[in-house]
Amino acid sequence: MTAVEGEVEETDPGDLEVITNAIKQVGINAGSTLVGVAAADAFNEYVPEGHRPADFLPGAQSVVVCASLGPTNAAWHSPNRRLMEITGYDFRENVSSIVVAEYIEQTHGYLAMQAPALPTSGQQPPLSMMLSAVLAGLGTRSIAANIILNPTYGLMFFAAAITTMRLTPDHQLEENVCPARSCVRMYEMEGKTPCMAVCPADEGGCLDATIEDGQITSSFFDRERCSTRAMNFGIRGHIKQVEILTGIDDADERRELIYSDDFRRNMSSIGRYKESVSQCFECMRVCPVGRYRRKLQ
Amino acid sequence: MEELDWVSIKSGLLDMARKRGAEVARIGDPALLEDAEPGLRPSELLTNVKSMIVLGGAAPRAAEWQSTRVEVMETVGTADRMTALGSAVARHIEETYGYYAMNVPTSTDQDDKAFLDFKAAAIAAGAGTASLAGPVLDPDHGFLYLTVILTTMPLPADGPLEQPACPAPQCIDMWEEQGTTPCMAVCPIDDGGCLGGEIDQGLVIKRRYDAERCRDRVYHYWTPGYQAALERALDEPDSRKRKMILYGSFFTRTMWSITYSGVSQGQCFECVRACPVGSKQRALQ
Repeated sequence: MTAVEGEVEETDPGDLEVITNAIKQVGINAGSTLVGVAAADAFNEYVPEGHRPADFLPGAQSVVVCASLGPTNAAWHSPNRRLMEITGYDFRENVSSIVVAEYIEQTHGYLAMQAPALPTSGQQPPLSMMLSAVLAGLGTRSIAANIILNPTYGLMFFAAAITTMRLTPDHQLEENVCPARSCVRMYEMEGKTPCMAVCPADEGGCLDATIEDGQITSSFFDRERCSTRAMNFGIRGHIKQVEILTGIDDADERRELIYSDDFRRNMSSIGRYKESVSQCFECMRVCPVGRYRRKLQ
Repeated sequence: MEELDWVSIKSGLLDMARKRGAEVARIGDPALLEDAEPGLRPSELLTNVKSMIVLGGAAPRAAEWQSTRVEVMETVGTADRMTALGSAVARHIEETYGYYAMNVPTSTDQDDKAFLDFKAAAIAAGAGTASLAGPVLDPDHGFLYLTVILTTMPLPADGPLEQPACPAPQCIDMWEEQGTTPCMAVCPIDDGGCLGGEIDQGLVIKRRYDAERCRDRVYHYWTPGYQAALERALDEPDSRKRKMILYGSFFTRTMWSITYSGVSQGQCFECVRACPVGSKQRALQ
C-alpha cells in the first residue's frame, strides 16, 4: 500500500467501522447529505480497465461517495420553470469529496484524491459516479435516464474520493428503488410510468421500459436526444453555434446569431456552469421517489 | 402545531449568515416588490413567498482597492461567496424548519432579464439605499455583492433604511462647490462617461445613467467582449489577421473571464472606487 509521507496511522480492523463512520461524518459536515463507501475492487466486475479506481490511484482500496441534493425544494416548486434551468446545483458534493480526501491524507496518512468524473473523451467519464453511488449503496438505476435514485431522497448528485485506505464498504441496496409502487400500479393500468408518460420515446421523448412483476425487464433511453434537451445551453450548444457561424457568409446574419439571446445563454451557461448544468428536469419532476420530502410549508 | 418564535429564528438565521461572511443581513417584505413589472415579482419565483432575506458581502478587500495594478480588481471581483452562502442559508431553512427557501439565481433569464430586481430587494430590506453611481450602498460598508433568499417563512421584516447612504456629506459639499460628485467626476456622462445627476438640499433629485456604455466597460471582457471579438474574427477575410485575433490577448482574456465568471466579471469599479461611502473599511495600515 502506498502512503503519503509523515506519520501513518495503522488501521486496526476492529476500528475500521468507527473510522469509516468518522470519515462519513466529515463528508456530511462539509455539505453532503449522504456519504457511502464502496470497495475499490467492486468496480472490476462492472467496468473495464481504465475506468477502475486503481487506474487512477495505484493501490486504491476504497471509494468514498458523497451525495448531495440538487436544487432546493422551493426551486422544484417555482412557478417559473426557467428558474430550474439555471439553478441546477451547487457542487456541494464536490467540495465535500475534496474535504474527505484532505481529511484522510492529513488524519490517517493514506493517499486520497477526488475521483475524476468529468468526461475526458466522448461521453464516458473516467470513473463513473453512477456506478460509484450504486456500489456504495446510495441508490439504484432508474428508468428515467438511468439516473441513480436514492430511496429516501430520489435524485441526488454524486462526487467521490478514491483512497488507498481500507474502509468498511457499504452494501449495495438489496431492492431496486425504481419502479416505485405507485409507478408499478400506473404501468399496470396505463402501460407507462410517470417518467415515461412525460417523455415517451415513441412520441419524441427519451424514455421507454417494460415492467413485469414489479421489476424493470427492459428499458430504453435515448441519450443523444436527452442530452440535447437536458443540456440545451452550454458547451454543446456553443459548439453547434460556432459550427453554424463558420458556415454563414453574410456578416449581418453572423452578427444576428452572435448577439442573439440563444448565443448569450450558451455563454452564460458555460461561464456559470455551477448554476446552469442542465435545463430539463421533467422526468425527475414527476418521479414519486423522494417526492414527499419536497413538500414543505 | 406549536407556534415558532420568529424573532429568535430570524436572529439565528442572520447570525449564521454573518458568521459565514455576510457583512449585511436583513429581512425585507416581498410584498413591496409585487408592483414590479411582470417577471420580476418574488411571487413569480416562489408561491406564497413571505420573506426576502438579503445578504451583502464579499466586497473587494481593502488591499485590492489599494493595489497599484488595475488588473487585480479586474480578476478578483467575486460574487461567488455570496451565492454559496445564499444556497447554504436556503438549504438550512428547508432542512431545519421545513419551509420553502431558494437562493435567487444571479444569472439572467430569457433576454438577459434578471429573475428579481436585486437592488429593489436590498432597498426594501434596508440592506442599503440607491446611489448615484448605481450600486446599492450600505451606509457602513458601501458597495457589497448581494444575494437574495426567498422563503415562505414569515420572518419579521426590517424594512427600508430611513436615511439614504448617497449622497454622502462629502459629496454634497463637493456638489455645492463644483457641481459634481466623486462618482460623476470620474465618469461624467457628458464627457464620455456613464453618470450624471443633480442634488438639491442634500438629496439626489435627478439621475442620468448610460447603461449600455457602462456595460461595455464593466464587462469589457466576459461574454460581451467575447461576442465582439468573435464577430471581428469571423468578419476578417485575412486568415493571418484572423489568427492574430483568435490567439490574441484580448480574446484569451475574454475566455478566462467567462470560465472564471465567478471571480472575473467586472472590469471597471471606478465610480465605487471614488465613492466615500464605506471608504473607512478600505483604509487600513
